Amino acid sequence: MIATTQYRPAGTLSASTALAPYQGQMNARLAAHLLRRAGFGGSPADVARVAAMSPGAAVDSLVHYPKDTGLSGRPDDLGDDYDGLQQKVTELQRMGSDPAELKDARAALGRSRRKTTASMQRWWLERMVRTPAPLQEKMTLFWHGHFTSSMVKGITPREMMNQNWLYRSNALGNVREIAAAITEDPAMLKFLDNARSFKEHPNENFARELMELFTLGIGNYTEQDVREAARALTGNTVRGAAQGGGYTFALRRHDFGTKTVLGTSGQLDGKDVVEIIFRQPAASRFIAAKLLNFFVYNDPEPELIEGVAALLRKYDFQTSPVMSQLLRSNVFFSDRAYRALVKSPVEFVVGAHQLYGLSEVTDESLAALGRMGQALFDPPSVKGWDGGAAWLNSQTVLARENFADYLVTAQTTAQADSWLVGSVPAGADAASTTLVGTILLGDASPASKAHLSSYLNGEGTSALGVLSVENYQERMRGAAYLTMAMPAYQLS
Amino acid sequence: MKRSRFLLGSVAGLTVAANTDSLFARALAAAPLPGLPGDDRVLVVINLQGGNDGLNTVVPHGMEQYYRYRPTLAVPRGDVLQIDRNVGLNPALRSLKGMFDAGKVAIVQGAGYPQPDHSHFRSTEIWQTAAPDRIERTGWLGRYLDSAGMPENNLFNAVALAQVMPEAFVARKVDVPAIGAFRGYGLSSDKQASTKAAFASLVRDERVPFDSPYLGRVAEIEDHAQRGSQELPSLIGGYKTTAAYPATGIGRSLALAAQMIGSRLGTRVIYVQHGSFDTHAAQRGTQDRLLQELSDGLKAFYDDLAEHGNDTRTLTMTFSEFGRRVAENASRGTDHGEASPMFVVGGGVRGGLFGAHPSLDELDNGDVVYTVDFRSVYATILEKWMGRPSREILAGEFSLVPLLA
Repeated sequence: MIATTQYRPAGTLSASTALAPYQGQMNARLAAHLLRRAGFGGSPADVARVAAMSPGAAVDSLVHYPKDTGLSGRPDDLGDDYDGLQQKVTELQRMGSDPAELKDARAALGRSRRKTTASMQRWWLERMVRTPAPLQEKMTLFWHGHFTSSMVKGITPREMMNQNWLYRSNALGNVREIAAAITEDPAMLKFLDNARSFKEHPNENFARELMELFTLGIGNYTEQDVREAARALTGNTVRGAAQGGGYTFALRRHDFGTKTVLGTSGQLDGKDVVEIIFRQPAASRFIAAKLLNFFVYNDPEPELIEGVAALLRKYDFQTSPVMSQLLRSNVFFSDRAYRALVKSPVEFVVGAHQLYGLSEVTDESLAALGRMGQALFDPPSVKGWDGGAAWLNSQTVLARENFADYLVTAQTTAQADSWLVGSVPAGADAASTTLVGTILLGDASPASKAHLSSYLNGEGTSALGVLSVENYQERMRGAAYLTMAMPAYQLS
Repeated sequence: MKRSRFLLGSVAGLTVAANTDSLFARALAAAPLPGLPGDDRVLVVINLQGGNDGLNTVVPHGMEQYYRYRPTLAVPRGDVLQIDRNVGLNPALRSLKGMFDAGKVAIVQGAGYPQPDHSHFRSTEIWQTAAPDRIERTGWLGRYLDSAGMPENNLFNAVALAQVMPEAFVARKVDVPAIGAFRGYGLSSDKQASTKAAFASLVRDERVPFDSPYLGRVAEIEDHAQRGSQELPSLIGGYKTTAAYPATGIGRSLALAAQMIGSRLGTRVIYVQHGSFDTHAAQRGTQDRLLQELSDGLKAFYDDLAEHGNDTRTLTMTFSEFGRRVAENASRGTDHGEASPMFVVGGGVRGGLFGAHPSLDELDNGDVVYTVDFRSVYATILEKWMGRPSREILAGEFSLVPLLA
C-alpha cells in the first residue's frame, strides 16, 4: 500500500457554511450520491424518483423512514438446534467422555453455526436489498461495525440476532443509550469477555474497548481508568443456557467498592461508567469523526468534526436530527464529498443487486462477500472494518471483479426483462451511453465510453461483427461487467 | 498428517500461459538485487496477532512466582520442554524445540518497548511502524523496501499472505500485493481475450469527470491485481515439494511462501498472519493449539526450504503486539500485558537464548518489564541479514543482538 498523508479530498473546507443546508439543485448524480451514502445505491427507478425531489425532501424521505417495512424480522434458520448441540458439548466435556464422541458433537455444533451464520447473512443482505427504509439498514450496518461483535466465544445465533435488532431498533437513536444497552447485551458481554469477569480478577477487555473503540478513542483515558471501569462492569453477565440465557446482574460477582473513572468517584456500575464517558467532550468528537468517515469523507478536518460534535451535544447524542442535518448539508453535497469514499463490499454487493433488480442473494454472493473482506457478523477484529484504503488490495479487488462477472453473467440471465438486456440497443454508442449513464451516472471519460463501444462492436476480436440481435445479450453483459470494473464504480 | 499437495494441484488447474518476455521475467533477468551482502536473502515475518502470552510460550519454570501467579494456567514443570534450569518451551512447541536443539532457533526474551501501550491497535501499529514515540504513516518493512531500490516493475518485491494489508508494508514507493488465498487470486473474465484487454485499459480510466482522493489508488490496485494474478501461476507453477505441511491456515501460507521463495521471483519479504492469540478466557486450549500450528508449520517450512537449498537464505522472525498480564484472570485467561519473546529461525541464525527473561519480582503494575527493545532485533535483521543501514529506517541507533553472524 502506498502511503499518502491522508485520504482527505483536495480543496478547502468552508467551515462556516459546511453544515448549512444545501440550496442547490438536485440532479441524478446527486440523487445517486445520496442513495449510495444513506443506503446502498438503489435501483435506476429509485435514482430517478429521488432526482425529482428537492434535496431537503429527499433527505426527509430517508430519515423519516416507514416503521413497518413489511419485511420478515428473522432469518428462516436461526439455529434452533444450536442450544441443544451446545449443551451436548458442555455435557460431554463435563463428563470427560469419549474423545471421539466429543469431537463429533463439536463438529455438529460447528456445522450448525456455519449454516446459521450463512442464513443470517443472507437474511440481512436481502433485507438491505429490498427495504423501503435504506437508512435504517445503513445505520444498522454502521453500528454493527462500530459496537461490533462476531459470532465466536459461545455467542448463540439468537444472541447475535438480538444485538442486530438492538442496532436496527435504535438505528437513528441515541448513541449514549445504545452504549448503555450494550453493557447489558449478551452477545457483547460474551464477545469482550465481561460475561466471565469477577470482582476478584476483573477482565479488562470490555472496559478497554468501550473507551478506546466505542466512545472516547485512545489518549482520552488512562490505564487506571480501564482498570477501574472493569471493576464497575463486574457482575454484568449472561445466564447459562439451562437457565434460559439472557442478561443478568450477578450480585456476587460485582465489585461494590468505590471506583474512580475519568475523575468521578463513587460506587459505580456499568451504566454509571457510560454516563461518565458521555460527559467527556472527547465522546462527541469521537462519534462525530466516525460518522463523517462513514458517511461523508475520510480524514475530515478538525473544524468539521467539531461542528458535528457540537450537533451531537446539542441534541444530547440523538442521531436522527444530527444525520438529518449532515445529509442535507453543503459539505455532503459538495464535489469534495462526491465519490470520495471507497465502496465497502456490502455496498458493492447490495448496490449491484439493486442496480439489476435482483432480490435474492445466492450462496456464491455470500462467499464472494467474505473474499472481499466483509462477512457480516464476522468482522476481522473488535475494531470492526477499517474501511477506506484497507478495502483495496489485490485479493479483495479480484474478488469484487469476479463477483461482478458472476452477477452479470450467471445471475441476471434469468431476468429477461432487466434494463440490461430487456431490449435490443439501437447501436453500440447508445448502449455504451446507457451503461455508463445507469451504472456510473456518467462518471467515465469520453475515451472509456468509446472503448466500451468498440468492445460492444467486437473490435479487436476475430468474432462475429458489430452489436446485433444475435450477440447483444452476451456483449451487454460483458460490457456491464467492464463498466463495473471502472474506477467510479469502486467509489461511493 | 497428510502430505500437502493442494498448492501444486491448484496451480495445475489454472491456464498457465508461457509468457517468457513478461515484465517479471525481464525484471528478474535485468535487476541484480540491490544492496545485499548475500545474493538473494529473504525475510519471513510471522505476526502472532492478538497478543501472545509470553510466559506460557517460553515458560519460566524455575521461577516459583510463575506458579503462584498462574494457579490454573501454568504449564506444569514436568510438561515443560526444558532449555535450562530457568526456562523451557510450552510442550505444544515440540517441533520448534527440535529445531532449537539443532541450533536453528534464536529466542529473544522479553522483547518490548518503553511506555508500553495496552491497546491491540496502537501497540500493533507501534510494532508495524517501529515508532513508539510518534505517529508514523509508513511501516518499517515499507521503509526498507523504499530504501533498498527495489525494481519498480516487479510486482512481487514483497508479499503479504493476509486478507488485510499489514501496516508494516505501507511504503512511499513500493506497492505490495496481499494474497489471502492462492485459489481466489485470478480474474474469471481473463479467460476471454477481448474482455481481458478491455479490462486492462478501462480500469486505468483516470480522466473522469470527478475528483477523488482514491482515484489513483483504485486504478493502480486494479492494474496490479490483474497483471500479478496473470503472472504468478506461471512463475511458481514448476515448484514441487515433499514436505508435510499441516492442513492449517499458517501451514498453507508457509507452503505458498516456500513456493515463492523457491521460484526466485525476487521476493525479499513475506508477511504471514497467525492468530488470534487474544486469550482473555480459556487460554490454554486456544494458545496451545495456535503454538502447535506455528511450530509444526515452521518445521514443514524449513524441511521444504532445505529440500530446495533455500533454508540458509531464508530467515523467519515472529512478533506479537504484546505479551499478557502475569496474573491470570478469573476466566482462566490473561489480559493485555507488555513484553513477550520473539523467535528468529533459520538463515544464518546463532541458536540460543538472547536477552534476559523478564523478572517476575519487579513488575510494572502487574506486567513484566521488557529487557530488549524490539527495534534492536529489527536493527540486527536489517543490518546483518538484509544488508541495509538501520539508522534511517528505524529513526535511531539501536544496539544489535548477536543472534546473526
